[in-house]
Amino acid sequence: MGFGDLKSAAGLRVLNDFLADRSYIEGYVPSQADIAVFEAIAAPPPADLFHALRWYNHIKSYEKQKASLPGVKKALGKYGPADIEDTTGAATDSKDDDDIDLFGSDDEEESEEAKKLREERLAQYESKKSKKPAVVAKSSLLLDVKPWDDETDMAKLEECVRSIQADGLVWGSSKLVPVGYGIKKLQIQCVVEDDKVGTDMLEERITAFEDYVQSMDVAAFNKI
Amino acid sequence: GPEELALLERLLGLPKGNKYGVQGERKVPVLQTNNGPGLTGLMTIAAHLVKQAKKDQLLGSTAEEKAVVQQWLEYRVTRVDGSSSKEDTRTILKDLNIHLEDKVYLAGNVFTLADILMYYGLHPVMVELTVQEKEKYLNVSRWFNHIQHYPGVRQHLSKVIFIKNRLYTNAH
Repeated sequence: MGFGDLKSAAGLRVLNDFLADRSYIEGYVPSQADIAVFEAIAAPPPADLFHALRWYNHIKSYEKQKASLPGVKKALGKYGPADIEDTTGAATDSKDDDDIDLFGSDDEEESEEAKKLREERLAQYESKKSKKPAVVAKSSLLLDVKPWDDETDMAKLEECVRSIQADGLVWGSSKLVPVGYGIKKLQIQCVVEDDKVGTDMLEERITAFEDYVQSMDVAAFNKI
Repeated sequence: GPEELALLERLLGLPKGNKYGVQGERKVPVLQTNNGPGLTGLMTIAAHLVKQAKKDQLLGSTAEEKAVVQQWLEYRVTRVDGSSSKEDTRTILKDLNIHLEDKVYLAGNVFTLADILMYYGLHPVMVELTVQEKEKYLNVSRWFNHIQHYPGVRQHLSKVIFIKNRLYTNAH
């Protein structure tokens, strides 16, 4: 979990997205979680990241009570979207340049060691990164397709829906579900690659079969 | 109406015992008092209950906050209760969505009677919204989800579901 680097514009964008439908970092009351993230941010978010700004101003209003807010402050990596890492403060701190270099040879040794350590860490990071398989984000959708009335040919309706082809779209099983007055809706499953197929596009193409389809709704949606 | 006032009484921790009636075609609630003709009107009675419960901060603390609270109470009674068409509802949701863009609560940073009465007033509307509409009025959804989780507010009203993973992220 995490927001990436909260000191960077990219991290703030993640935070903004996260807060679009949330009032607080965790739960429904201000807590130490909000304080932890608040303190990691250098300055108020820019006006175009208006969800983050709304949250920032709100938490700022609790400044005086911050010690008494519920919860325990945890590391930034414990908050935020599950699929993003916290990299705030990962930037190497600049070494203290004030130390007078009295023993040149010591310095050399130190830097050799430091160099070795850094290279080791880098190698570890690279191997970790390469082990991660390229993840294709997919979602499983259950669509409700409603006909105009009970006289609509549901077999033809299903044919029309299944005739919709797209890269990244795979149709699954379906069934007819009665909704009353003799009308049945088609409930059909499909798997989509998030990057390639959006529900907007599906809705457009399905409702294009105007003769058969009155409307389409997403009944269920699960990330795979 | 009166049922809502009963919910409000419980939320405020007031003892039961107030008698409510309704008046006229528009079923305006009336609170029967011991001496006199009684108090008429949702806003009036609600504000009275808040003061009875000694929770005046729910009406706002600063002059500006108080005004904003009144504004939304008036909005509730004139626009929300008076709305009849889908068009009206859409306008209300649009107004609210804009107002809530930079605020956690209707009055800004504090929970007030405005949030409570707008929640009760909009509950029947929110229950009927589609997934797409809930995402369209993203700020309203965020605010509504927050208020329905506020201790004591929802009571026996149904919980409106807001899914966490947004589907229509392209349609902003």
